[in-house]
Amino acid sequence: RHGHTMVRAPIPPPNMTVHSLHIFDRKGKTLFSKTYSQPAAMGQQQLRQTSQGPADEDPVDEQRKLVFGMLFSLRELVGSLAPEGEKGGLHSIRTGASTLHNYETLSGLRFAMYTTNDVGGADASSSSRRSSAAAESNVSVKSALKHIYTELWVESVIKSPLYRPGEMSTVGQSSSGSGGGDAFDIRSTNFEKKLDAFLQSMSWFR
Amino acid sequence: MSKSSASASGHALWSKMPKANTELFALTYGSLVTELIRDYDNADEVNSQLDRIGHSIGVRCVDEFLSKAEVGGINIPPCQTMKDTADVVARIGFRMFLGVSAEVANHAPDGSAFSLFLYDNPLSIFVELPTAEEAAVISGGRGGCDLSKIKYSNIYCGVIRGALEQVNLKVDCRFVRDV
Repeated sequence: RHGHTMVRAPIPPPNMTVHSLHIFDRKGKTLFSKTYSQPAAMGQQQLRQTSQGPADEDPVDEQRKLVFGMLFSLRELVGSLAPEGEKGGLHSIRTGASTLHNYETLSGLRFAMYTTNDVGGADASSSSRRSSAAAESNVSVKSALKHIYTELWVESVIKSPLYRPGEMSTVGQSSSGSGGGDAFDIRSTNFEKKLDAFLQSMSWFR
Repeated sequence: MSKSSASASGHALWSKMPKANTELFALTYGSLVTELIRDYDNADEVNSQLDRIGHSIGVRCVDEFLSKAEVGGINIPPCQTMKDTADVVARIGFRMFLGVSAEVANHAPDGSAFSLFLYDNPLSIFVELPTAEEAAVISGGRGGCDLSKIKYSNIYCGVIRGALEQVNLKVDCRFVRDV
């Protein structure tokens, strides 16, 4: 008879870095994008330096379009796989390198946040504990994305008198490009400042 | 959504919104319309301007509506039919932003159209539009704006159009009858 007791140490806070945040609209345009961590920033720089495409195409822009495409196609897939009567949504995509958390609104706005895969717990053998820590951090990222939408996005961007959904100036457009005089620039709101302050206050953001 | 749950949601959301004085709201809107009349002098132009203003408002309303519902823990499921859309707009949307519920009726047989009845219009509490004869007398010599043709609350049409446009539904909204 084994006296097998699992000593449950308190779950350590998930150790996770946020790589970047992207916000897309219904049509796939990138409304906002920011990289936070060092590896992500370096990756972007590398991408710029080694890109071999035509000179006027920003490779980072292409990358964002690919992210949107992936989210869109996966959502269609998930929707068709969902059982009858239930609506399916794409929650997160986990790869070996990182996790992409996704939050969508009915108005088509998509918030996508890249984070590292969390490392929740030093004891590798207690997989249940790790998965609960993982689940916990997944839930907190989702609620953070919801908070970003409801409190920060709606308050700063939507309520700004300059907001026009069709004419947002997309991130990464060259200044001599087709931005146009009327396009709305996110920089004119303090969305970014509020976003940074909010993310700093999150315990798992490093 | 069942009718009672929709009304309850609408009421719950309305109680969370910051409120303004009804009279201030109505009078501000009235002065806006008056300025438009002075600027444009043409009823159709005024109507289309009101519609345009309403459109900008509607576009913003949708995200605010969805986010407040999210925060309030109220689940707004995606609408399957036009009927659902009508119910959500009338019972929750109007209730949340204006405090008055609209009634839905007259669904077209193919589900492509419906009517909204607004019994209690907060914008027009002090307003009386002249009839055609009175309007002719008023604008007599100037040959200006025909006041009886103005759709005073046309802003609602714009709001609904703008809001539904954001959820991929292109609608045409018109006033059928204004008392």
